[in-house]
Amino acid sequence: MKLLLAGLSHKTAPVHLRERLAIPEETLPRALQELQRLGASEAVVLSTCNRVEFAVSSADDVEPGAIVDRFLSDWKGSGSAFDGHIYRLEAREAIQHLFRVAASLDSMVVGEPQILGQLKAAYAAAKSEGTVGGLLEAVLTKAFYVAKRVRSETGIGQMAVSVSYAAVELARQIFGSLKGHTVMIIGSGKMGELAAKHLRRSGASRILVTNRTWQRAQELAQLFEGSAVEYESFRSVLHEVDIVISSSGAKQYILNREDMQRVISQRRNKPIFLIDIAVPRNIDPAVNEIEGVFLKDVDDLEGVVTANLRERGRQADQAERIVADEVDQMMSRLRIEEVTPTIVSLQGQLEEIRAAEVLRALRKMPGLSEADRQQIEVMTKSIINKIAHGPISELRRNAGQPEGSVVIDAIRKVFHLG
Amino acid sequence: MGESSVLWLRVAAGLYSLGLIDAIITVLRRREGLFRMALGAFGVGALFQLVSIVEQGMTQGQLPVSDIFETMSFCAFIITASFLAIYYRYKAASLSVFIFPLVFVMTLVGALRSPVSTWTNPVIRSTWLVIHVVFSLLGYAALLFTAAAAVIYLVQERQLKRKRTSAIYRILPPLGTLDELISKSLGAGFAFITIGIVIGSIWAFIEMGTKWIGYGSIAISFVTWAVYLALVFFRVSAGWRGRKTAILSIVALFCCLVTWFEHAQLRRFTE
Repeated sequence: MKLLLAGLSHKTAPVHLRERLAIPEETLPRALQELQRLGASEAVVLSTCNRVEFAVSSADDVEPGAIVDRFLSDWKGSGSAFDGHIYRLEAREAIQHLFRVAASLDSMVVGEPQILGQLKAAYAAAKSEGTVGGLLEAVLTKAFYVAKRVRSETGIGQMAVSVSYAAVELARQIFGSLKGHTVMIIGSGKMGELAAKHLRRSGASRILVTNRTWQRAQELAQLFEGSAVEYESFRSVLHEVDIVISSSGAKQYILNREDMQRVISQRRNKPIFLIDIAVPRNIDPAVNEIEGVFLKDVDDLEGVVTANLRERGRQADQAERIVADEVDQMMSRLRIEEVTPTIVSLQGQLEEIRAAEVLRALRKMPGLSEADRQQIEVMTKSIINKIAHGPISELRRNAGQPEGSVVIDAIRKVFHLG
Repeated sequence: MGESSVLWLRVAAGLYSLGLIDAIITVLRRREGLFRMALGAFGVGALFQLVSIVEQGMTQGQLPVSDIFETMSFCAFIITASFLAIYYRYKAASLSVFIFPLVFVMTLVGALRSPVSTWTNPVIRSTWLVIHVVFSLLGYAALLFTAAAAVIYLVQERQLKRKRTSAIYRILPPLGTLDELISKSLGAGFAFITIGIVIGSIWAFIEMGTKWIGYGSIAISFVTWAVYLALVFFRVSAGWRGRKTAILSIVALFCCLVTWFEHAQLRRFTE
């Protein structure tokens, strides 16, 4: 069985090439059928905005690379545009690549969770077209398991790696669950809106919007299904607010120490989280000294992201070790599965010859004692074991290797194994 | 002390106990529990207490503050009357968390003056004591959780305030969760320790008549309870969090430790 993975990703090809190679969902079934028609035993196509990959398995006498080439030239016209961008990985490398992709180690944002779902969808599509069921299926099933193991044994996907998610992460560390909490957005800015959206999705129940332009406040309020608050009086409702996202274009501080002192005593010391993502800053940094007030500016959030990315890197190293370990396990399993029939028939063949020859010899030597007969049995068995030792270890060593099938075939021929 | 005046005082203590229940519910659920009802019971209880004090005063022909029991009851009545007046004027309901349990325990102590016949049955005596010990220890355990959570809260708060956050804040539970834990363990602990002290007082009263009030170690346990009460009060009414809660809960924990140590000795004394 041969296994090939060919494709391109954000690491090897710019977006205009990736989109040219992409297989849209509607044509995916046809593509899978086509690959099988061209000679593939199994085929799975993974097509996302960051990568397009074809995983193909074929019988030993079929070259899977040729199948993919043929498919590309039939479907995508001249294949030369992709030269130098397409990687082709075989056997062990292919397996390792699939494991790494599933575990989100090959993603643009390492650890992002979507890719596993996309790979599962690709597998499901192939399953429903009947183009998996064998080696490739075993590899993919294992890949899903590896992804799960990486996710549960490392913290790779748990840390916020964008500023707006960092805000959510901090809010969670302050309030625990965000359910029932109120968010106020001051001013309008992309990052502020994004953070508010994440907070809303994480359970924040009420969104208040204030803006110097009443019209804009109302628009935003509508967008978040919240309510607009007059800019002149937003301070008077601040005590009801748990999280403030400030990104107004004000030239001086719009919230100072006195304001927050008043708010926090109105809140009876209940914590309040202020996120100041405006430049120049909207909130006097001194408010952070008040007990119960937590102020973070853009730099603080960036700091969280940087620390998280570094931590993700460390987690990724650990994940790579898990992947390597799993690849080894998979390879040795495949290896044994692949050569087991050959080993069994080799041993069977030698034993058959030995048994027949021993029988014939003993018939010619009727005077032998039982002990002598035993001796002959032991000796002949030891001879065939020693003969078989070389080819069997050669078989085991070559199994699963790119050129292994040549060696395996040679051994089968030499010993006349059918 | 006259028979009937003690009876009135016990009725008053019974009515005040509703206030205690209300206070505990308020702490645990963080909203008003039976406040209306407890306030009513409080008013009626105050009347009974007044009757008791007047009767006692008439019997003695002087202001009934001649010993610690009478003084306790008298003092409790003054606190009750003041609270009712303050509530009438300012609607300061949050004070009740502090006042209700305080008045209840003081009145209870006052009502434990005239000695009753000793234990009818040694099993009841030891069961009573076991219940007291179990509830007190549960109260200490809950306070241990409160203090631990309060200290972690402090650390987590520092972490979250820092400009450059380190990875520690991810390991510690969120502030909100800790706050919840503090409230829950504080409320439960306060309930346990109050039941413990009530049962303990009654036990001591039956065991030793009026002598018990003179023991220093018993005074310590009342001080411990008062610290606990203060902790509960400041938290519920003033929303104390962070450093103040941490410090006060550690003080309360220390008091508990002293009380526990003292009482371990006390038991050796009585047996």
